[in-house]
Amino acid sequence: MLELFTYDFMQRSLLAAAMVGGLCSVIGVFVVLRGLAFVGAGTSHAAFAGVALGYLMGWPPLGLAILFGLATVWITGWVEERGRMKLDVSIGILYTTTMALAILFIGLMKSYNAEVYGYLFGSVLSVTSEELRVIGGLSVLVLGLILLFSKELYFIAFDQEMAEASGVPARRMFFLLLTLVALTVVVSLKTVGAILVFAMILIPASTAYQLTSSLMTLTLYSTIIGVTTAVAGVVISAIWDVPSGPAIVLLATTVFFISVLFSPKRMKRAAHVHVH
Amino acid sequence: MPDSLDPIIRFDHASFGFPGVIALKDISLSINAGEFVGVIGPNGSGKTTLCRAVLGLMAPVEGHLHIFDCACDELRCHHRAKIGYLPQQGVVDRNFPVTVLETVMMGRYGALGLFKRPGSKDREIAIESLTHVGMERHKDTALGHLSGGQQQRVFIARALAQQPKVLLLDEPTTGLDITAQHNVIELVEHLHDELGLTVLLITHDINMIRSRVDRLVLLKTRLYAAGPPMDVLKPEILREVYGKDLVITEKDLVIVEDYHH
Repeated sequence: MLELFTYDFMQRSLLAAAMVGGLCSVIGVFVVLRGLAFVGAGTSHAAFAGVALGYLMGWPPLGLAILFGLATVWITGWVEERGRMKLDVSIGILYTTTMALAILFIGLMKSYNAEVYGYLFGSVLSVTSEELRVIGGLSVLVLGLILLFSKELYFIAFDQEMAEASGVPARRMFFLLLTLVALTVVVSLKTVGAILVFAMILIPASTAYQLTSSLMTLTLYSTIIGVTTAVAGVVISAIWDVPSGPAIVLLATTVFFISVLFSPKRMKRAAHVHVH
Repeated sequence: MPDSLDPIIRFDHASFGFPGVIALKDISLSINAGEFVGVIGPNGSGKTTLCRAVLGLMAPVEGHLHIFDCACDELRCHHRAKIGYLPQQGVVDRNFPVTVLETVMMGRYGALGLFKRPGSKDREIAIESLTHVGMERHKDTALGHLSGGQQQRVFIARALAQQPKVLLLDEPTTGLDITAQHNVIELVEHLHDELGLTVLLITHDINMIRSRVDRLVLLKTRLYAAGPPMDVLKPEILREVYGKDLVITEKDLVIVEDYHH
């Protein structure tokens, strides 16, 4: 089995999974705390529409994925800020519209294109060196920005109005967060696919949420869970020859349910009820 | 009592709202450094609008607002870090995974500015703020594990960590039991006396604050009255604003029909 790890494709896959797992789990902390879960789902489908258009027109799919993803989150953020529509309603409309566009673009293709479906379902085992460099570059950019603005991002996740009232440029930080969510989704498309990337963002942070009441510890736990489940999922995928995306997500989901069962918060609450 | 008569907040015929909907109309009011001012009025009277205006979250649609000599007409002034703010209960998720110290440290972020990390000095200020509200023992406790009254103390400490000149409290006693209500108001009074802070306290609880504040500001979409409590709490003014006959007894303010029973 150890021989498996000597193959170039396997090393690339593990590195890609570790980077995507780490990136998704860190941004996931802010997504979960700020209540942007649905934005992640909507953005991944919008980005997939960009990929489909790229393949249809012969344009760079990753560039269009970024464009579609950014347009979706910025429109959503703008609509919410203006108070014209609730966030979940606007993202719901864009979600279905971009998915309809993706289906339309695929339908307009003259022949079956397996690469497009790779972005829908994820194929980490086929990540190329060039794609790895793109994933690496975007990961450094996103994680660097999170590190640089972490205190502001935590504050707006806690309470955006209070952050603004305290002199933090909360509005700009909210749009930065939305932009980082879109970039994370695009980075992760090839590895876990448009459908499952949402789970990669949501599950590690939600799991860590069960285990701690400290922001710093939450971020640390989320990262460990994200990287570990992504790497372990790729190994399972290679050993048992199952698709990588579902392997990663189902493993992360299992860890989530275990964390719910053994959550210190839940146990304290149960003990509190028992005492009363 | 006021330490000086320097107006640090000045409304000059200021109106607030949106085109076609005015929430507060033609407000002219000065608040001096070191004053303890209570803002009262029925629901929908514009108390929260006044709060948002002072925080710099709302620019006047007419007239002017000056805070610390900064014109806030276009929401570009940078006075926000000097105003410590306690939001209404329910605005903040009190079960957010954050410790007491992490919560109070957030009070330093605005003053620090972008790109700077909080250091040991900021931690010292945060712990000192917790000491002021008597919560330093709980610094590593999860915010969600505290009672409502303790959480309010932590949020007051967060406001103090900004090292503000003004403390702005939006209905700080709502949702608390009677003991916690008294404790919070006594703490605010103590901070006003001890630290010389200007306090702007928005509340429905006239009884709780009337003997503690220097001035009361009574709103009902416009400024009905402002001055010492006994000048504002006159039966004819209260009847006009609240639509009920109210009488002030030695201890309490009660509805007349209940009083006679």
